[in-house]
Amino acid sequence: MPKVRVFTTISCPYCFTLKEFLKEKGIEFEEIDVSKDERAREELIKKTGKFVVPIIEIDGQIVIGFDKEKICQLLNIKD
Amino acid sequence: MEYDLIIIGAGPAGITAGIYAARQKLNTLLITKSFGGQVARKAVAIENYPGFEEISGLELIQRFEKHLRKHKIEIVRDSVTKIEKINKKFLVFIKGKPKFQSKAVIVASGADPRPLELPGEKKFIGKGVSYCTACDAALFKNKTVAVIGGGNAGFEAAIFLAKYAKKIYILESAPQVRATPINQERVKKIKKIKVITNAILKKIKGKEFVDSIVYQNQKTKKIKTLSLEGVFIEIGSQPAVSFVKSLVEFNEKNEIKVNPSTLQTKTPGFFAAGDVSDGKYKQIVIAAGQGAIAILSAYDYLQKLK
Repeated sequence: MPKVRVFTTISCPYCFTLKEFLKEKGIEFEEIDVSKDERAREELIKKTGKFVVPIIEIDGQIVIGFDKEKICQLLNIKD
Repeated sequence: MEYDLIIIGAGPAGITAGIYAARQKLNTLLITKSFGGQVARKAVAIENYPGFEEISGLELIQRFEKHLRKHKIEIVRDSVTKIEKINKKFLVFIKGKPKFQSKAVIVASGADPRPLELPGEKKFIGKGVSYCTACDAALFKNKTVAVIGGGNAGFEAAIFLAKYAKKIYILESAPQVRATPINQERVKKIKKIKVITNAILKKIKGKEFVDSIVYQNQKTKKIKTLSLEGVFIEIGSQPAVSFVKSLVEFNEKNEIKVNPSTLQTKTPGFFAAGDVSDGKYKQIVIAAGQGAIAILSAYDYLQKLK
């Protein structure tokens, strides 16, 4: 199983859609709510150079936004 | 397979149309990128949808979606790229290829945030410039930000940002703000929000991230710079209509022209509901109502085809 981390904020609708999608596909993931976790917020900005959510990290590879095709490709799944 | 009806979009209009279509036992397909559209992106609670004194956009949409899914209706998560009408049948294209066919279509694809089209804006998307306050506000904790637009969307964005940011400027280009009295009163009570009127944004500046904006006072013509880290753009929306061009007419705002009593476009069997249509007022309750009008009109149209 790939290591999947999802950076979110509590009120972000695209984060919700992304999480629902991963659940639907049976992908296990760790959710990091950057509105609560200050260290994670700094880490996210440093790592991605972006002030934006959702961001998904799949085995160290970063995808910005709910880019379904890219996410499917990295997870090796079909939509 | 041929459907009776294809609905495009799943905001309040598309979801309402879907619920009605299922109850009318129409063989229906709903195609959407995601659920909720602008409602899900709303930063502050909704307080004018009857039956809910106060509910977040995301929660209201989750309830809408749950209600829709209670019914037998096929849902495909994808983007429509083109629609054609050939011999009284509509052909719906996905990723440039014809994929689905139906007798009638309801377009309820809503609207996307309108960009400013200013120097620096595109370069800094995700690097300080945001079109989704509900998504990104929390990333600006203890930072200074500006909201561009003094309508309700701008005021609501500022109220939401006040949970996180240390200072918020609202820039409105007109001499007066357009937000409702309720929103104006709320903003007045939050000391860290400052409203600047007559302010025309000229430039968004920075190196890697946004570090300032430049605006001009429309009256005095003076140029001013504000040091800040975030710019939230709330100047309204533009209809998401790129895929329907040949079948409809547009008004000056690029909204689809419809017959106000049936919501049919110039093409028989082709309807438009919600923010994508040329209705004057954009409200959740109106979009839902238009979803119902469009599906009932589509039903009549389908009956006459028989």
